[in-house]
Amino acid sequence: MYKVQDLYKEHGNKLSLKLVAGEGGMQRRIMVPEAQRPGLSLSGYLKNHAAKRILIFGKVEIEYLRDLKPAVRRSRLKKILFDMTPAIIVARNYRAPEELIMLCDDQNIPLLRTSMQTMDLLSRLTLLLMEAFAPTVSCYGTLVEVFGVGVLIRGDSSVGKSEAALGLIERGHRLVSDDIVKVKRREGNHLEGCGAELTRHHLEIRGIGIINVAHLHGVVCVRDTKRVDVVVKLEAWDDHAFYDRVGLDEKFCDILGVKVPFHVLPVKPGRDVVLLLETIALNHRLKDMGYNSAKEFNTKLLEMIAFKKETRAEK
Amino acid sequence: MMKLIRKVQVKNSLGLHTRPATVIVQLLQQSASRVSFTYRRETINARSLLSILMLAASKDARLTITVEGEDADAQQTMSRLVDAFENSFGENGNYGYQC
Repeated sequence: MYKVQDLYKEHGNKLSLKLVAGEGGMQRRIMVPEAQRPGLSLSGYLKNHAAKRILIFGKVEIEYLRDLKPAVRRSRLKKILFDMTPAIIVARNYRAPEELIMLCDDQNIPLLRTSMQTMDLLSRLTLLLMEAFAPTVSCYGTLVEVFGVGVLIRGDSSVGKSEAALGLIERGHRLVSDDIVKVKRREGNHLEGCGAELTRHHLEIRGIGIINVAHLHGVVCVRDTKRVDVVVKLEAWDDHAFYDRVGLDEKFCDILGVKVPFHVLPVKPGRDVVLLLETIALNHRLKDMGYNSAKEFNTKLLEMIAFKKETRAEK
Repeated sequence: MMKLIRKVQVKNSLGLHTRPATVIVQLLQQSASRVSFTYRRETINARSLLSILMLAASKDARLTITVEGEDADAQQTMSRLVDAFENSFGENGNYGYQC
């Protein structure tokens, strides 16, 4: 549940917000990540007026209200304020009309003021709200940036996720989060992972304990957020299982409705997991650039077979 | 297979800090069931030490334990976990951490 107070606390400085009136309504819920300039609604046209949106008063709204007679001004403002209205923000440091201040105090609707330009405020506020409302899920796994590719390492407890992460860090890659990764679906349909505030940049290694990677290896080895590009599941080697030998069929897993390339990586003594993870990351980059090693090889093979067939026919 | 869900309360004065978390992780090593804790709409794998610590659950916090597994194992795991919470993880309720 996102409240006006949360917005004010988290982003008040960024948006240079100042509370003018309606302090009692700071606990109001913001139900939709949308903001609106109430231009047309102020003129009295209230059909399809979105009451759940944050209202933003810019130059046009304020000037228009100034041109109205006080009684009309009050009645028009009253009509656009609902129980669901989360808050009102006046841009460009305009002084809010007396009637608006009184109404906000009466109805406990937070009235805020900012020095930002109206359009600037609208776009930044929308972005911040979209971020706060983005669907989130907690994934059990370790997120590491390998050659710029976000690799989410999953697998059962004690399969060696943290050890793999430590090996990657040692080779100059970056840790985002160990054990638990908060994954958010961002606009543009991509996933972004980050760690919990408390355990961020910490690894738990059996036999050693909890270590702080940022302190041990330096800040260059950590980062706060990273896009999740590939998911790799580590699992104990099973002699009877059939593992991907060619790589022609690409597997995907679904996180928050987004399809992410997925690999199963069997682990057994003698297999260098760190090197394998690096290879997966590099291969992913290559595929992203349009080159698929397995497909390329297959095409070459098919050409070779066709060529042999032709020469045989000629003979 | 069965799924057990129970609510427990953190009783030791220092809350779920490193030592109780270690007790939980150690206790779960003997179990094959899938165990998770839910606290403040956050669900975590109870086998992961860092995840338990991440919850930063204080004294009197109410956690939901979910155990999924074979009937006997799940029941035993749940009763052991509940006992551990009830006994404040062997810590003195007043003085907390004992060296």
